[in-house]
Amino acid sequence: MLARSLFAMVAALAFLAAPHVLAEFHLFQICLIAGTALVVLGLVVVTGFAGQISLAQAAFVALGGYGSAILATRWGFPLWAGIPVVAVAVSVVGFLLGQMTLRVSGHYLALVTMAVTAIVQIALIYSDSITGGAAGMPVPTFEIFGYALSTGGQLYYVIVPVTAALFLAVHNLNRSHYGRALAAIRQSETAAELMGLNVLRYKAAAFGASGFLGAIGGGLLAPLSTYLDPAQFGITHSVYFLAVAVVGGMASPLGALVGSTIFVFLPDFLQGFQSYLGLVFALLLLGFIVLRPNGLASFNLPRALSSALARTGDGR
Amino acid sequence: MLAQLLVSSITAGAVYALVALGFVLIYKGTGVVHFGYGDQVTFGAYLVLIAQALFGLPFWPAVVVALAASVLLGALIYGGLMWPLRRASLLAQIIASLAVGTVLREFVRAYMGPSAWPFPFLLSPAPVAVFGVFVVPANLAIVGVSLGVLALLFLLFERTFYGRAIMAACDNRIGASLIGIQVSMVFLAIWILSSVLATVAGVLVAPLLTLSPDMGLIGIKGFTAAVLGGFNSLPGAVIGGILLGVLEALAGAYVSSALKDMISYGILIAVVLVRPQGLLGVLAMKKV
Repeated sequence: MLARSLFAMVAALAFLAAPHVLAEFHLFQICLIAGTALVVLGLVVVTGFAGQISLAQAAFVALGGYGSAILATRWGFPLWAGIPVVAVAVSVVGFLLGQMTLRVSGHYLALVTMAVTAIVQIALIYSDSITGGAAGMPVPTFEIFGYALSTGGQLYYVIVPVTAALFLAVHNLNRSHYGRALAAIRQSETAAELMGLNVLRYKAAAFGASGFLGAIGGGLLAPLSTYLDPAQFGITHSVYFLAVAVVGGMASPLGALVGSTIFVFLPDFLQGFQSYLGLVFALLLLGFIVLRPNGLASFNLPRALSSALARTGDGR
Repeated sequence: MLAQLLVSSITAGAVYALVALGFVLIYKGTGVVHFGYGDQVTFGAYLVLIAQALFGLPFWPAVVVALAASVLLGALIYGGLMWPLRRASLLAQIIASLAVGTVLREFVRAYMGPSAWPFPFLLSPAPVAVFGVFVVPANLAIVGVSLGVLALLFLLFERTFYGRAIMAACDNRIGASLIGIQVSMVFLAIWILSSVLATVAGVLVAPLLTLSPDMGLIGIKGFTAAVLGGFNSLPGAVIGGILLGVLEALAGAYVSSALKDMISYGILIAVVLVRPQGLLGVLAMKKV
């Protein structure tokens, strides 16, 4: 208990101190990590917890970003209110998509969610009058309590707390009755059903949650990038989010954070090799799925150390 | 007008059919759905360009080198990825095949640049009038090759001992190995065969579409064609491909170009939800 409250205090202090210590660019990167982590957290819930593959995450992100931006530009609905409203609507879309898992699983689920992403992208491109078509649309400024937040350093005060709160919520949900039900479904749907779980409703709810998190992430990332381009919401981006989740690890919410941190900082490390960036991302995905399918967050440092010690002990 | 539309849409359909045949071959032969197959098709076409650039070869020898390289690629995908993952979860296998496609696409983007390349036609692209309808020899070649590949694969699977061995290996690995079929060799052969088929398809299709790293998105149309025909039916793949090409062309001509782009995804979702066994497929019962 003491350790936990101590951790919370350190985290709060770090949150308040960061804007005074770090440069504007680093705050922007932190916002980018937090927003991406929210999107990937949605995948962790639906794929990692419930075991249902989803390539619809880019569509949820697009709906969240475009939906809140359109509400703001056309009806003057401020982003701080529009993002949660749109996210609730997108979670309903996700829930309905999840209803399809009654009939569809495995390969076919991957195909159907892929098709959903493609349809959303094409719809955005062809609805010129509302979305700006293939050219995209600018995102209005995020205004709250009379403050206009436009830079990474300003949006930091919104994005980071929202991300922290949602991560905490998912962490707690995963340890509740709900999380255990999803784990049971992941391991055996038949067994879960025999235990009296309404499997379909749980799977659909997991899709709804992934839609909600993806839309919140998309809504928050949009004012950060200030521009929405439909080319950024295709199937390849769904695969990108999946890659982030796989590299970070899909067994716990922490994996979403670890993966996003790696994928946001990687371009910095590869400065001379920008054209190889996509290839490095792809090779990371390939390497992790073969060698360490549970991802980086599955490293349990104390346990790894103690087992290593035990092994040296045996070798005497 | 309608006749001309149908003739040109059959070409597009044959392209989808060729890609769909590759999917069905891998799925029928090894039980894996290869999500990176579209990118493998693109990669096959790029292999020809790379062979030309690296060794200064003329076009045809470069095609031969590309076919040889794709044998290696198929063996590499099976030996390096699908064999180690043979007992992994379905989820891991799906992600691995997505990763293969992404690696191939990003390799091409990094090595050959993101912009489009010109690719020569194998036959004349000049249209010839037949009964008042313009027919393009290069397009006829695509239709011919996809029908030829279908015939070859069909004979292989249905009429030869080796084909029966492949089906047995896919159906029941333990049973097949008990009667003396070396399952890993069968799977290796399937991956090599499908990799060669991808390069053949790439070489035929590249001059028609724009050869850029993102040409692999054709893969989804191939999926739709395969799903429409029934994922484990070879003739179904061809019928599904041509049907998809015709439906797309009709939607584009009579409704709108937005619908033309969207219809294949709509068909994909509708077929999976309403008739998952497709037109010619056999429904597999899920065992508990």
